[in-house]
Amino acid sequence: MPRAVTPPPEQSTQSAGLEPGSFRDPESRVFYAGDGVYRALSADGLADFEALRQTGLLEDPRIVATERVQDGGVDRSLLVHEPAAVLKHERIPFVSYPYEWTFSMLKDAALLQLDLLLAALERDLVLKDSTPYNVQFKGARPVFVDVGSFERLREGEPWIAYRQFCMLYLYPLLLQATKGVPYHPWLRGSIDGITPPQMRALLSFRDRFRKGLFTNVFLHARLEAKYADKPGEVKQEVRRVFKKELFVANVRKMRKLVDRLGWDPPEGVWTAYGERNSYTDDDARRKDEFVRQVATSRQWNLVWDIGANNGRYSRIAAEGAKTVLAVDADQGPVELLYRDLRQEGNEQILTLTMNLADPSPGLGWRGLERKPLPERGKPDLVLALALIHHVAISANVPVKEFVDWLASLGSALVIEFPTREDPMVQKLLAPKREGLHPDYELDYFERTLGEAFEIERSERLESGTRVLYHARPKQG
Amino acid sequence: MTTVLAYLDPGSGSMILQVIAGGMAAVAVTAKLYWNRLLKFLHIKKDEPETATVDTTGSSE
Repeated sequence: MPRAVTPPPEQSTQSAGLEPGSFRDPESRVFYAGDGVYRALSADGLADFEALRQTGLLEDPRIVATERVQDGGVDRSLLVHEPAAVLKHERIPFVSYPYEWTFSMLKDAALLQLDLLLAALERDLVLKDSTPYNVQFKGARPVFVDVGSFERLREGEPWIAYRQFCMLYLYPLLLQATKGVPYHPWLRGSIDGITPPQMRALLSFRDRFRKGLFTNVFLHARLEAKYADKPGEVKQEVRRVFKKELFVANVRKMRKLVDRLGWDPPEGVWTAYGERNSYTDDDARRKDEFVRQVATSRQWNLVWDIGANNGRYSRIAAEGAKTVLAVDADQGPVELLYRDLRQEGNEQILTLTMNLADPSPGLGWRGLERKPLPERGKPDLVLALALIHHVAISANVPVKEFVDWLASLGSALVIEFPTREDPMVQKLLAPKREGLHPDYELDYFERTLGEAFEIERSERLESGTRVLYHARPKQG
Repeated sequence: MTTVLAYLDPGSGSMILQVIAGGMAAVAVTAKLYWNRLLKFLHIKKDEPETATVDTTGSSE
């Protein structure tokens, strides 16, 4: 029995939070106590964990840092049978979900999943599931967080999680890579992903001849329909003929297929991405300075840069923050930002794509398995630059609603208000009926902001159509 | 350790597919081995020790 090196979790975990997204695997359950993230293991789960530890794979930096701790005081009812051990995990700064990741993020998570599976197979282990919810991002680095997913490989066992890999990784990636359809609403719409028959229905006759699609989609859907009512027989037959070599060959083939998939943002996005990184006019310089002053005025724990675009201000915010969330509704610039951050080895800025007028809701069983954004960690500083006109005019959210939502986060705020005369605002107003959006006025905005926040400072940029505010939450 | 106790439903069709796909990979390995032998026999390729680690991964669709 290995010796525990760390003090046990809080004596009573009765009051501690169970992770509501961790109940599908009966061998392990995640819970929180104090600042820590813990995992209770069943006896079987513990045996698998020990097997993993003996192979040395647990030390792999692609897997979340994990140690065994004493299990004193752990809630005995966490699992069906008595928990046999408790693990402590490194905490990921901010939890995110595949329907918020850009194409390259989901692809990198898929490759991580497959690489770890291959590494596991070399050691006679296997990953029992293959869901992107087992991957989290530390900045631009994917980390595998479900240590409970490793188990000992049984002889003759096929890739049990192959179907899940298709539904949650391969098909979403294929959808965007081959059809140009973003997978985000599909993954957000179904916690299990896209089924083989659904994917098949989305493809054309010509797609049969694309590499990997015939087997993994067309044949897969067909066999699924054909053998749906014979699970017992099939399982036995498969176990009789299946060998580890076949398993490895299938996973390698899948890795090749995924590695070849690609998606690029439209050309205009590339141009705009580069330009905005290099613009040097006075407005931009003063805006940089304004943001920098607030960002570096103290050490911020978590900054949300909403409407981050190419991440110019996320990078400035990172100068004074531990973690920065760069969120934008437009996947294009966020994808390019992610690629740059990945290249730089950045582990501080997490890129997400999400429409703030329609943000990620609570999903899954009881709507608790996946959490809305604010429930995953409230920011202590929010940057809302060149955003409010999009929310108020394009998405028709009243200005006061938006300001009240910002105030509900309880954080400091840097917000930019482009006036009605601003060319971008003019463009958004152009298709609308005259006199619409009467609340989109500088005076009204300022009054509303002053009611919800203490305004520290404001500055009108040189061009005159953009005003910056630094505000902090009202006391009490 | 004789039963597959997966908490996921592996899907019957999905399991069959793996045998078929795996079978195709096996066919590809065999074919490649014989092809290499043929090339050697015709003196197109130099004699190298035959390895069991022929790439089985990409050529079977």
